[in-house]
Amino acid sequence: MKSVDHSIKPQPSDEVKFSLPKIDKFNLENGMEVYFIQKDKLPILQLNLLVNGGSSFDPEGKKGLSNLFSMVIDEGAGKYDSLQLSDEFDSLGTHFSISSSEDNLYFSLQTLKENFDKSLELFSTVILQPHLDEKDFLREQRKMITRILQQQDEPDEIADIVFQFRLFDKVNPYAFPVVGYEGTVKNISIDDIRKFRADYLHPNNSTLIVVGDISKEELQSKLNLYFINWKPENVSNIFAFPYTTQHRKIFLVDKKNTVQSEIRIGHLASKRNEEDYYSKLILNTILGGQFTSRINLNLRERKGYTYGAHSRFNYFKESSYFYVSTSVGLENTANALQEIFNELNGIQKGVTSEELGFAKSSIIRKFPSNFETNKQIASNLIGMVIHSLPEDYFNNYIEEINSLEIDDINNAAKKYVQPEKTVTVIVGDKSKLLEQFKSFDGEIVEADINGELKNKVTK
Amino acid sequence: MDILNIDYEKYKLKNGLEVILYKDNSIPLVAANIWYKVGSANESKGKTGIAHLFEHMMFQGSANVPKEMHFRYIQEAGGSLNGSTSFDRTNYFEKVPSNFLELILWLESDRMGSFIPALTQEKLDNQQNVVSNERLERYDNQPYGLAWELIISNLYPEGHPYSWSTIGSLEDISSYTLEDVSSFFKTYYSPSNAVLVVAGDFETARTKELVEKYFSGIESNGNANSLQAIPPQLKDNIYIIHEDNVQLERIYLSWHSDKAYGDDDASLDILSDILTGSKSSRLYKNLVFEKEVAQDVSAFQFSGRLGGFFTITATAKPGVKLDSLKSEILKELKAIKNDGVSEKELLKSKNGIKSNFIYSLQNLDSLADQINSYNFFLKEPNSFNFDLKRYEEVDNDKIKSATKYFSVPYVELQIIPKNDNENKEGK
Repeated sequence: MKSVDHSIKPQPSDEVKFSLPKIDKFNLENGMEVYFIQKDKLPILQLNLLVNGGSSFDPEGKKGLSNLFSMVIDEGAGKYDSLQLSDEFDSLGTHFSISSSEDNLYFSLQTLKENFDKSLELFSTVILQPHLDEKDFLREQRKMITRILQQQDEPDEIADIVFQFRLFDKVNPYAFPVVGYEGTVKNISIDDIRKFRADYLHPNNSTLIVVGDISKEELQSKLNLYFINWKPENVSNIFAFPYTTQHRKIFLVDKKNTVQSEIRIGHLASKRNEEDYYSKLILNTILGGQFTSRINLNLRERKGYTYGAHSRFNYFKESSYFYVSTSVGLENTANALQEIFNELNGIQKGVTSEELGFAKSSIIRKFPSNFETNKQIASNLIGMVIHSLPEDYFNNYIEEINSLEIDDINNAAKKYVQPEKTVTVIVGDKSKLLEQFKSFDGEIVEADINGELKNKVTK
Repeated sequence: MDILNIDYEKYKLKNGLEVILYKDNSIPLVAANIWYKVGSANESKGKTGIAHLFEHMMFQGSANVPKEMHFRYIQEAGGSLNGSTSFDRTNYFEKVPSNFLELILWLESDRMGSFIPALTQEKLDNQQNVVSNERLERYDNQPYGLAWELIISNLYPEGHPYSWSTIGSLEDISSYTLEDVSSFFKTYYSPSNAVLVVAGDFETARTKELVEKYFSGIESNGNANSLQAIPPQLKDNIYIIHEDNVQLERIYLSWHSDKAYGDDDASLDILSDILTGSKSSRLYKNLVFEKEVAQDVSAFQFSGRLGGFFTITATAKPGVKLDSLKSEILKELKAIKNDGVSEKELLKSKNGIKSNFIYSLQNLDSLADQINSYNFFLKEPNSFNFDLKRYEEVDNDKIKSATKYFSVPYVELQIIPKNDNENKEGK
């Protein structure tokens, strides 16, 4: 057998040709905007309706309203009660679900082409003729209250909730968990649910995204047919998004009997559609966005503190934050924190040209794989809609990345990674943690599982 | 269905490596997916978790690939990669732009052929820490996180290959030496014990050349002994009560059932869907929707090469006794045994399964993995239609017949809140 020299790393063959799918944009007769990509490889369709009506729209004292609305709206519609409606979707093999995030309500429908008409008809019935019965509402409300009780079991969920609460400092609509609190969910009535529908569920407050095996003409006529009775209404949604300046602070949430600490460290950042997005993307790819980024290689592959550690810029419509997230063995909590701060400080000294080359190559070459499944494609379009990105966004993506130089990234590191402004949340067994923080720089405050302050910790 | 009928080519290298090529040029991506026929079932009591720890070591570099570079080369190419370990097999997979096919074949062949020269104590120490943290994160620090281990260790007799978890115990994970790792490699990581699937956008003749170039020089270590296990039986019901950091009580009922692709395997999948798969499924409707005695309920048929088991899980609403959930569950199983299910229920499940088959074809990684799975269990990569037919042929008689598994002793696990007031904050 002929021997091969395995020591030579193979080079890629000719660059691949990838043609970006064509994005069509049109309006229905009722004014609703539709984004559409035709993809006919498989006889399936993905449809997403995006409504401006996420948890940041929840009124004071009724946090969790948008989420509860998403649970109740498909509990019966038209001639179907709750169980019949779900049976109708299931019998078609159609996946239909509704969820709520900070910014939006999402309706998602995945169906075979042969069942598109029937699925669309059911979907439009949910939008136009939901029952919103009190009996169904009360059942879903009880389910949600129990779910909130169960959250206490999940250290990672507690860490996320407390981090966002402290970061947005109780004053910003993004400070509160999408699901709300036990007290605020109990405070919601069926009238609030009905009012939420009247306030927000309108075609002029929504965007439809469709990906799949259908022609534009056919899609247009079907959507117009099923949504003809959905009429635009006045929508008033003006909220203030106030921010407070943060100084480095550590919040400790005591969770007895845990064997790991959940750690979140981060600070507020600029919005998705503001300048320097691509610099921040490259920066984070180098710092913590991938397996081979600095933070994971240090905390996992060198120190062995964790199964994984990552950083990201998390973008909302009106705000964003940068954060590092990991879970580590209790005994290594302070060590891990120290290493994370070393990385946040270290990146300010600049990145190397190898790192820049690697990040660019990774991001650019990954581009085609973002368009593999219908859900991925839809999710790209959703991002475009939420953050009001330009229509040629995907066309210019690779060029934008390619144009950046090392100074751009180094400036972004100084501007967008700010260790001195970080909010840190640790969820773990206090009795095993305090000793480690005796010599740690920075104020430590104890918080409860919702992020409300208890008392300063004496080290 | 035509779209489920895939065209492939399968052949074997002289060293025993099986190769399956599946071409799809619709997007310029290519995936490699290797199954090694070794999993945690090949371990023994007191030596658990090594198959999974070994999987981690395979990402630590090989003779021509320095530490951290396996990941880096693939991410630099814009690719994605991972591996996973189950009872029966270990898989490794990556997906890259199609012009990087040679890179991933080189990487996979280098660790298949030259893993041992790059093995060091430092790497092993590091991954023992990482895997211990993986165990803490995914099992010990998770509410109800120990349920799986408690079920299998009671359902299977001591020493049975399925009686310990894939992650292994902390004690075992930290006990392994370099020699254990080398010897595991020599026993199981032979090309003759592996199957390589290449799927996606490639040119066949060129791909065959590359596979030959990189893999044919790897020597076979012969064939590892194939595991056998006697189908286990419980003499009596086993009751376990476990205290955990949880707010709500949860019950698990587990019965031995059929193995993967056994006569009743598909019927049990459909039965699990009829019991808990949708809002109007029998147990969900009864316990969660109407009576509101459970917060959630789920049923699933686990099936592997050496056997299977069927588990029903329900979480009690605050103040509800687990025994009342249990009696409702058993009552429903008895009703199905006596009266079967309706045509409507069967049709709904089958339509859902059929659609899911088609949805799943969108993703190249999962397609490549499914091809390997069919080849492993059925010796035939093109089994999508065969698999779908298994479900389409399930009728009321088959469902009733599958309820025979519930007439024998079972394992009942109750997970209840720790008797610890400090853990009840905010209640």
